[in-house]
Amino acid sequence: MVRLNVIELEKSEYTGGKSSLCPGCGHDQISNNIIQAAWENGVQPEKIAKMSGIGCSSKTPAYFLGKSHGFNTVHGRMPSVTTGANVVNKDLSFLAVSGDGDTASIGIGQFVHSIRRNLDMVYIVENNGVYGLTKGQYSATVEKGSKKKKGVANQQAPIDLCAMAINLGCSFVARSFSGSKKQLTALIRAAMSHRGMAFIDVISPCVTFANNDESYKSYNYVKANDEVLHILDYIPHFSPIEEVEVPEGEFREVNLFDGSTLRLETLAADHDYTNAVSALSAIHESENAERHVTGLLYYNENVPTATDTLGLSETALVDLPEDLLRPDEDSLERVNATFRS
Amino acid sequence: MLCKQPYVEALGTKKAMGKIVNDFVINVATANGTGSQSSNLIILHSMFEMGIPVSGKNLFPSNISGLPTWFIIRVSDQGYQAPGDVTNIQVLMNKDTWMKDLESLEPGTIVVYNEDVKLPVDREDCVLLGMPMTKMARKINPKLGRLIANMYYVGAVAHLLGIDLDAIEKAVKAQFKGKEKAVELNMQAISEGVSFAEENWEFESQYCVESREKNPDSFLIEGNEAIALGSIYGGISMLSWYPITPSSSLAESVIGWLPELRSDGEGGSTCAVIQAEDELAAAGMVLGAGWAGGRGMTCTSGPGISLMSEFIGLFYFSEVPGVIWDVNRVGPSTGLPTRTQQGDLSMLYEASHGDTQHIVLIPGTVNECFEFGWRAFDYAERFQTMVFGFNDLDLGMNRWETTGFQYPDAPMDRGKVIRSQEEMDAIANYGRYRDVDGDGIPFRTLPGSGLDPILYRGTGHDEDGVYSEDPQVYHDTMERLKRKIDGARSHLPEPMIREEEDKEIGVIFYGSMENTIVEIDDILGESGLSVSTCRVRALPLHPEVEEFVRRHERTIVLEINRDGQLFGIIRKEFPADLIPKIHRVSYSDGMPPRARVYSEMILEVLNEVK
Repeated sequence: MVRLNVIELEKSEYTGGKSSLCPGCGHDQISNNIIQAAWENGVQPEKIAKMSGIGCSSKTPAYFLGKSHGFNTVHGRMPSVTTGANVVNKDLSFLAVSGDGDTASIGIGQFVHSIRRNLDMVYIVENNGVYGLTKGQYSATVEKGSKKKKGVANQQAPIDLCAMAINLGCSFVARSFSGSKKQLTALIRAAMSHRGMAFIDVISPCVTFANNDESYKSYNYVKANDEVLHILDYIPHFSPIEEVEVPEGEFREVNLFDGSTLRLETLAADHDYTNAVSALSAIHESENAERHVTGLLYYNENVPTATDTLGLSETALVDLPEDLLRPDEDSLERVNATFRS
Repeated sequence: MLCKQPYVEALGTKKAMGKIVNDFVINVATANGTGSQSSNLIILHSMFEMGIPVSGKNLFPSNISGLPTWFIIRVSDQGYQAPGDVTNIQVLMNKDTWMKDLESLEPGTIVVYNEDVKLPVDREDCVLLGMPMTKMARKINPKLGRLIANMYYVGAVAHLLGIDLDAIEKAVKAQFKGKEKAVELNMQAISEGVSFAEENWEFESQYCVESREKNPDSFLIEGNEAIALGSIYGGISMLSWYPITPSSSLAESVIGWLPELRSDGEGGSTCAVIQAEDELAAAGMVLGAGWAGGRGMTCTSGPGISLMSEFIGLFYFSEVPGVIWDVNRVGPSTGLPTRTQQGDLSMLYEASHGDTQHIVLIPGTVNECFEFGWRAFDYAERFQTMVFGFNDLDLGMNRWETTGFQYPDAPMDRGKVIRSQEEMDAIANYGRYRDVDGDGIPFRTLPGSGLDPILYRGTGHDEDGVYSEDPQVYHDTMERLKRKIDGARSHLPEPMIREEEDKEIGVIFYGSMENTIVEIDDILGESGLSVSTCRVRALPLHPEVEEFVRRHERTIVLEINRDGQLFGIIRKEFPADLIPKIHRVSYSDGMPPRARVYSEMILEVLNEVK
């Protein structure tokens, strides 16, 4: 029997075109997780807007959610296009995919300002440390000492996008790995349930240019050095009980905007995701140990979104009738009279 | 009433030889940030209040305080609005430009100066009228002395010209809206200035003002504010902007008028305003808004357009509507940021890499600023492309007369948008980029509608919006885009043509040159030339422009830039047989166009090609 989700759609309603990325690319795994998360969450595909910039990762919106409109924009400028679309239609759910070149270099300014505005969107960076489409140059997120397949090891300090996002007050910051299906799907599902900027930095090995063991973002390296903060379970608002059993050990629950819950089962030390300093410590400690910390790093539900602060009409601006968009003739007479007096 | 009066004979006499009524130029030299803009606007508005045809040009520096600024007031019963070729009355307040300002004057100029600057005034061939403005101002208010000093020259000028004190008081009240103390203080200074002049200056000016019947409907307004209002009546739903002179006042006017004009009645605004992180982001936001079905707009100047260029190509190629206003300042690079030019036109027309072509609306009056302000959105959605508005600092930031703005004469044109499954079903073989009507304009659907979604892209795409590198598909797409924009020619604002019977000389011009053309026409007329004029109001050019050229023996393309940018577009697009009879006169020094300069250049060119 074909499985249906809560709005009675098959998973095939959430798939997209055939990928043209290299076989085994981490990005394709992430696309599968996006499909899975959107389907399990029962999101209406037509209410999603897929956004991306330029690069390998930014091509992927063609490979998932074929029933959703999308925009593959220009290099590093996806956030501004999303901003414009968001303020005129706040009823759309924005799901954006970017890369480490797209976000940490050319688009770092727009990344910063979209967080500053707390744009209501899911922002996924598919982070492999190299520019894939131009054949493997280092990007700004590659770790010092990491070495890609060809050439010398990188000597510059990396930009940690999660640390940056936390410093900027981003309301939802997580890191995951394209090979951690359960963790990543739970984080994407939670991100979709969040209102405001939900940023997920997903380490996603480049199988062609940087999957050698000396590369800190290779599959083997990440598998061996993944410092998982907690086990994640997403409990949707529409079926709170059946999906997840209550764990025996310690756990915390994150209450999300749409009524869903993200349950965090403590592993080693308890990570306080409400404390930005703890989150930054976790990042720096794992960086010092040349490891990757993954999980929900930081969460703050009390940040107003871009559209909240603009004082806009309750109705999405694109749905307003002409008489609300064009003031009446009498008003123009009043304007003229103001200048005449 | 020409300015050929015997200035020198007037010197030292109590009576001028003959009165020159409503025909003179006042130049006020001050330092930026001393409050002189208020004084200058009071002179301007008080004469306007008396029904006298007057225009003002603010020549200001890129600076907040201290650098020199000049304000030129042209009074002309003929309605001339250009700065004028000579100064008849010079007000000297600024020590930094004192000597140079003084040197540049023609013999016989009336010089009103602040004695307290304590610099020599050695022009015995001029009428020298000093007043201790700073000292008198400090007596009224020691703290505000520097600002109030400027009001004394208002009194001096009012005395010399015979401006009604009632009109001045009205202008002062308008300038300091609701601030009674300020009105009182400034009126006191102006009155003292008048009294001082009456008591101490044994001179009666040959220049004077006479009231004219004022149209009760008329008022003065900046072009930028007119565009702002136009956009509000055009249903703008998102304004993104990044501050840049001389366009900031356009965005700030939109922001200022929104609460009154665009509230939904329940406390919500029907237009979002975002101050962007840079011009690239501002353009991206307009793209996003247009893609989602909104009416997005940004405003900037040349440097901003350079930064937006990548997005402009994406608008064109992915066929998303949006509006960008360019208030032109002097380039290249940072150039002269507070001076005027028509130097961006060719950049706008073909902005971004690859083959592109954009619609450019070019208002020449504040009424057209308003009209094109709302029409821009209709064109953008009709032709599914980015539409430029082209303004310049002169029209944008100076005040021009209007009798009021006219309400849009047509409902909003939302273009070819499919909003329901029934509408979709009515189209056979729908594809986002398929030309089903033969006009090059495809249908589109909006995000959120669920109707035939595609992934918009800046990469090559076929008629269904699917990625394609196929040579034929690319070629066909580009040809269709060409056809689409070409199809706009006869829908865009037609040129304003004023034609003489004998069709000897035709002058093609655009934008703010409108404010100088009457005077140029009169000067050329004095030389015995019969001149027709054609004011271009949009790119791509309307077919009528070509016909205008065809009908005239010789055509001059008149522009405020170095290279003749419209001339270049015309040479590229018009048939080869017309090109030999088209010539250019293009000149730019940052100043608003002075009639004499351009007229002489036109005569020179006509002489050469005889």
